[in-house]
Amino acid sequence: MSISELHYWRSTEGLASRRDFLALAGFSLGAAACSRGPARHALPYVSAPEEITPGVPSWYATSCGGCSASCSLLVKTVDGRPIKIEGNPDAGLFGGGTCAVGQATVLSLYDDRRLRQPQWKGRPVSWPEVDDEIESRLETIERSGRRIVLMSRTLSGPATRDIISSWSRRHAGFQHVVYEPRSRAATRRAAGVCFGRALVPHYRFDRASLIVALDADFLGTWLSPVEFAAQYARRREPGRAMARHVQFESGMSLTGANADLRYAVAPSEIGLVALALLDRLESADRAGTDDLPASVPAAALDALADALRRRRGESLVVCGIEDLAIQTIVARVNHVLDNVGRTLELTPSSQQNQGDDEAVTSVVGDMQRGDVGALILYGVNPAYDYPDRVGFVQGLGRVGLRVSFADRFDETAPHVDALCPDHHYLEAWGDAEPVSGFFTLTQPTIAPLFDTRAAQESLLKWIGAAPDFHDQLRSYWQQHILPLAGRPHELANLWDTTLQAGFLQILVSSSPAGFSADVREAAQSVRNEHRRSVSLRTVDRLELHLYETVALRDGRHANNPWLQELPDPITKLTWGHALALAPSAADRFGLQNGEIVLVSDGNLQVELPVWRQPGQSLETASIALGYGRTAAGRAGDGIGVNAWPFLRGMADGALGVRPTLVTLTRTGRFASLAATQTHHSMEGRPLVPETPLAAFLDQAGGSDTAPPSPPESLWKEHEPGTHRWGLNIDLSACTGCSACVIACQAENNVAVVGREEVARGREMHWIRIDRYYEGPEAAPRVVLQPVMCQHCAHAPCETVCPVLATVHSSDGINEQVYNRCVGTRYCENNCPYKVRRFNWFRYANNPRFDFNMNSPLGTMALNPDVVVRSRGVMEKCSLCIQRIQAGKAAAGGAAAVVPDGAIQTACQQVCPSKAIVFGDLRDSRSEVTRLHRSPRYFELLGELGTEPGVGYLAKVRNPEL
Amino acid sequence: MRAAALVAFVALATIAMSGMARVGIHEGYAPAQPIEFSHRLHAGETRIPCLYCHYAAARSQHAGIPAASVCMNCHGLLAAQTAEIEKLRESVLQQRSIQWIKVHNLPDFVHFDHSVHVRASVACRECHGAVEQMARVRQEAPLTMGWCLTCHAARGVGDRGQRTDCVRCHY
Amino acid sequence: MQIPAVRASALRPAWVDGSPSLREIGDDIARPLSGFPSRGWFACVTASTIALGIGVGCVTYQIATGIGTWGLNKTVGWAFDITNFVFWVGIGHAGTLISAILLLFRQHWRMSINRSAEAMTIFAVICAALFPLIHMGRPWMAFWVMPYPNFRGPLWVNFRSPLMWDVFAINTYLLVSVVFWYLGMIPDLATLRDRAPQGVKQQIYAVLSLGWDGSQRTWSRHETACLLLAGLATPLVISVHSIVSMDFATSILPGWHATIFPPYFVAGAVYSGFGMVMLLLIITRRVMNLERYITVNHLDRMAKVTLLTGSLVAFSYASEWFAAWYSGNADERAVFVNRAIGPFAWAFWTMVFCNVIVPQVLWIGRVRRSASALLPISILINVGMWLERFVIIVTSLNRSYLPSTWITYRPTAIEVGTLIGSFGLFFTCFLIFIRVLPMIAAWEVRGLVGAGGETTEARDAAAV
Repeated sequence: MSISELHYWRSTEGLASRRDFLALAGFSLGAAACSRGPARHALPYVSAPEEITPGVPSWYATSCGGCSASCSLLVKTVDGRPIKIEGNPDAGLFGGGTCAVGQATVLSLYDDRRLRQPQWKGRPVSWPEVDDEIESRLETIERSGRRIVLMSRTLSGPATRDIISSWSRRHAGFQHVVYEPRSRAATRRAAGVCFGRALVPHYRFDRASLIVALDADFLGTWLSPVEFAAQYARRREPGRAMARHVQFESGMSLTGANADLRYAVAPSEIGLVALALLDRLESADRAGTDDLPASVPAAALDALADALRRRRGESLVVCGIEDLAIQTIVARVNHVLDNVGRTLELTPSSQQNQGDDEAVTSVVGDMQRGDVGALILYGVNPAYDYPDRVGFVQGLGRVGLRVSFADRFDETAPHVDALCPDHHYLEAWGDAEPVSGFFTLTQPTIAPLFDTRAAQESLLKWIGAAPDFHDQLRSYWQQHILPLAGRPHELANLWDTTLQAGFLQILVSSSPAGFSADVREAAQSVRNEHRRSVSLRTVDRLELHLYETVALRDGRHANNPWLQELPDPITKLTWGHALALAPSAADRFGLQNGEIVLVSDGNLQVELPVWRQPGQSLETASIALGYGRTAAGRAGDGIGVNAWPFLRGMADGALGVRPTLVTLTRTGRFASLAATQTHHSMEGRPLVPETPLAAFLDQAGGSDTAPPSPPESLWKEHEPGTHRWGLNIDLSACTGCSACVIACQAENNVAVVGREEVARGREMHWIRIDRYYEGPEAAPRVVLQPVMCQHCAHAPCETVCPVLATVHSSDGINEQVYNRCVGTRYCENNCPYKVRRFNWFRYANNPRFDFNMNSPLGTMALNPDVVVRSRGVMEKCSLCIQRIQAGKAAAGGAAAVVPDGAIQTACQQVCPSKAIVFGDLRDSRSEVTRLHRSPRYFELLGELGTEPGVGYLAKVRNPEL
Repeated sequence: MRAAALVAFVALATIAMSGMARVGIHEGYAPAQPIEFSHRLHAGETRIPCLYCHYAAARSQHAGIPAASVCMNCHGLLAAQTAEIEKLRESVLQQRSIQWIKVHNLPDFVHFDHSVHVRASVACRECHGAVEQMARVRQEAPLTMGWCLTCHAARGVGDRGQRTDCVRCHY
Repeated sequence: MQIPAVRASALRPAWVDGSPSLREIGDDIARPLSGFPSRGWFACVTASTIALGIGVGCVTYQIATGIGTWGLNKTVGWAFDITNFVFWVGIGHAGTLISAILLLFRQHWRMSINRSAEAMTIFAVICAALFPLIHMGRPWMAFWVMPYPNFRGPLWVNFRSPLMWDVFAINTYLLVSVVFWYLGMIPDLATLRDRAPQGVKQQIYAVLSLGWDGSQRTWSRHETACLLLAGLATPLVISVHSIVSMDFATSILPGWHATIFPPYFVAGAVYSGFGMVMLLLIITRRVMNLERYITVNHLDRMAKVTLLTGSLVAFSYASEWFAAWYSGNADERAVFVNRAIGPFAWAFWTMVFCNVIVPQVLWIGRVRRSASALLPISILINVGMWLERFVIIVTSLNRSYLPSTWITYRPTAIEVGTLIGSFGLFFTCFLIFIRVLPMIAAWEVRGLVGAGGETTEARDAAAV
């Protein structure tokens, strides 16, 4: 019995209503008794597995395969199906949160575009067949002495790497190159040049009281965002120790939106800023006869340099531009500031991005020359994201044996001989070492859905080893990793405990590093680079800036409808990207939002709609990477354009990113942009109070953000129940990363509605993140505010529903009863927060909405404890009522005392910066009550007298240097 | 003549209304099962406790239908052979699960948690009737919302507010 | 107090041109019912049934597919649906006003137009009642708004919800109107019965006229019943639209939450109602050539009422703006500014033109007495009043408290089709009505021309 035959998810219509209908029909035929409608089958196991009790979830610790950051996770499985991903709260390194992508990977498991079995030259075959083909060819290649190359994404797992090293032992001409579309190669190289260790440092934002980021989106997409967001939040707690954050960047990034001071500079000017800082730090007399970006006043840099000097050893300068010269200068700055070994560790170092551009380019060159006998692609898709993809595909044509472990028939697949689909990480064994000394395990949470095989096992098989990675993993760990824990007496069961915990942390002592590099050369090249681009710059030419979005990142998850429909935290665009221009620049070209322009860098041309982006650097046009997939699947194909090839014009050798310039040509055509927010100013309304730190410290205790006292209420108060559930959202901690949006979607079976519906203003997300711009368009202040149902004590929606479909629970929750709702939408109209979502159509099992809820496979991701709402009913945030009920039952019934923190909402659990706290407002000692007493506490539209159960803590910024 | 018409109309209307009112209430539903399993024999005569087979009821929201392997715990040993027991062996041998027909159906939008009720020592028979006397299981209770609430009120489950919280069962 | 019995004289405008004999009146009024309908009638029926067909199509598609076929979104939950609802309920009011209030005030000019006005009321209310039904996400569950015994324990309806009040208000209104209308028709049905040749038609009229024998007793009881029902119906003229207005007034939305709404809506209702009555009568008196009974004097009187109520509406607009400014409430002000210069400014200014500027020409007597001038005016009035409801609903919703939720709204073809359909339904019903039932109360008109030697005025006087 395949699992998809099971009736495991609930609908509002429910089976009963179908039976009723038939019963009715039967009645009208005067045969009520005999017509019972279709019988409902129950299929028990033939032999019951020990650990599974139907309906009772089990949790597995594992590590995320969403990107190479490898965060530690807990996976919730019900009746043998993984349905929800949560951060592992015990893994201190990552702080117990996840990102939006990590949340969404559970849906990728049920992606029906995944390959069902291996293929040989486009023909489905069995594993033995494909193995024979590959092994025999490897033989011949071996004999011919040509090289065998394994091109993989970052593989930090020691056991996995062990297999690779056994390959190099086995084959003389074996080479392993790590390919990451967005590598940190220059950083690593610079560290090698400067500190004598070619590695990516492990950054410690939690130790920095002054953070200067140069085009590094470390809260959203850079290196290890979940880890960094957690560290960052720890230092952003308003108080004397609150860290300061200065951002220099070209486009408006999530990180820039959170910065205290932000300067918009063109990509070519980032180096200048770094250089100017270095000048000021090294020569106190400010000999720096530097040419600065127009948008950065020299005085500001002086002040920043002073502040940095004052914070020796507790400041951190990071740079996201992968250019050797710039990275060298940044390394120097950190060295001068004594940050090395403190806020930026070389031991332990980060292994989360091992991409080596140099090696990759040379391999591609070899391929084109025909020197490569066999190429094995492991989790990479260069035909999509390699800048010179045409050259790559040509080279591929001259490779004798081409094998790919791709999970789907992706852009590279047509050019390979063998497709040996890898497991999804939720089906697989695996390991990782994201940061040296921090080892994580990946364990299967479900039996492989298809006839796939772990890449490691394929690799083992082809060198004649026993293809059982589980054994390999276990034995390798028992020999090499577990002993490091230094607990020999418990070594016996350490494997089991580690597997349960999901990770093993070993202290790595940090060792100081000297500085051995001459930065003058680097400085010179930075200056030249800038002069070059300035000389090329003209009125109608803009510098091109490519970036990753929080939702799609490098594009490997493009077929995930949840991610496609996740509004970008800044632009609020879904289902596509746009060409971001500064409003003034757009005016210069006379361009409106949505007007399609032709973007050209001389040899590559793409068409994109324009997006007027406040805070964008004037000379810069930004395009998001990760779009323009052609072989991702129904959800991902043909959305946006592929901007990776633009990098080709930028690649200067392997280790420089030379800013290119693009010209814009109007087409006069317009595209409809599916944005979930179309008005961007607060219109001067006091919706989100914000105070500078100084002011906050002055009046700490006394609050000036207290809401105006609400008017007398005509309704009588609800009599107090056992609990009053509430949420507290700290806007100082919230970075707007949007992980909560996906978490909520996964937990509550929120439907994906697609581009057209979002464009019509009908997205279904229960939690949204409002984003406002305040101040001048050129340098706006960005305000981010998560908004979900506020669970008002005096809820406007409750009084107007004619059928009592939305009422107040004795626990203070604003209940929405789907099965009672007749869909008058009166509640939606009367809700001042507009958080209610209406089912305009039937979104489940409806070909018109051909997303995860329309495929038997996709529906396996649905949470069986939450009904799938039917057409014509209203829905909204329930404060994860299913979790509350479970928590109360666990505590022992409705009246029992539920320990504070025992119940966590989905949005709270995954929040990397722990900005959301759920709890009982009636319990005077609960965390949420404590936060509600904070001087920063305020209620959204509290003056209306709605008495919301959701409260906010005002945002505090720290702009003075 | 008119009187007759009037009476006929009223009668029809009443039947129609009462018929409509009982839509979705399946008291007495007793479908034939793929295996003529007799609760009267197992729960009644041989006195096997409900929770022996439906062990999940104590731990999970679902009472669960025992896996064939559970049946085989005894039937593996028992000599007695009938056509019905053959079907059971068949399913075990072929690893094909038996397609039991669910008797007590709640609409999808109702969450009923067996374990909570078992822990509150509500006897199975209070909702499922005298199963130990049924050769073929039959739905005894109406399983309507009113029926649930009446019982909860009678037992004084929570205060009135908690009792009538919609989201206790609907979410 | 003694009022001398007077005959219809030059002192009062003549409510019937010339002095037709009783038989003539009977013939004139019965003519439309017998014989082959005019070409004009056929033209109208074709047009309106086509419109009705469109409506049926749209509604069917919408109910089969989902409310998503309309242009609504996460912020704007109501638009055309409730706009049409309020519009049609409003239309109804003129009928009740004419037949009930004017009866109590002894306005005799109502006599030749009340029948059709009441009919209009009923059809309008039917159109109105349609929209709350089809605007539901799950219309098949609509019966849940009725408090009825069920198996769900304590579950009941929400009597705090204005929508709940609507249910009762509308149903009461429909019921009373129908009874009133039918009661007033009985004597004429009897006449038709007596005139009709043996056959089915006569049978039907016989049943409908409930054995009317025209005796003095019957007549006096009939009069009493009419007066009583008039008394019952009078408060409805005020209550129904007050309650409808509370759908908005009791909400917390800026632009909706206004205490002036009840009187404001009632005035608007009567205003639009008279607009529609004029429209209908100007057309029918021509098509059915009844100019003799529906005279320019009638038009003049109706125009005056329109002018009065129109001024009330204008005043309400002014006071709404004043309240927004004087309250000092930023959100409230923003909504009104949005109305005037926001994305729906066109609707707002058209509304102001139709409801404030246009009725002013009715100060001129020549305009009031010219059918050709009143026809376009009455159309403009209805356009304006429809837009008024649209402006109130949409421009309050689309930009309320949180700017992040601000959004625009664009109706779909389905919504427009549904609106057209409701007009189709209305006119189809009305056209059938004027074919099968006497659209003028002959027995009252007879009174007007002094039937039986005594005029209606005299009878009224005697009654006092």
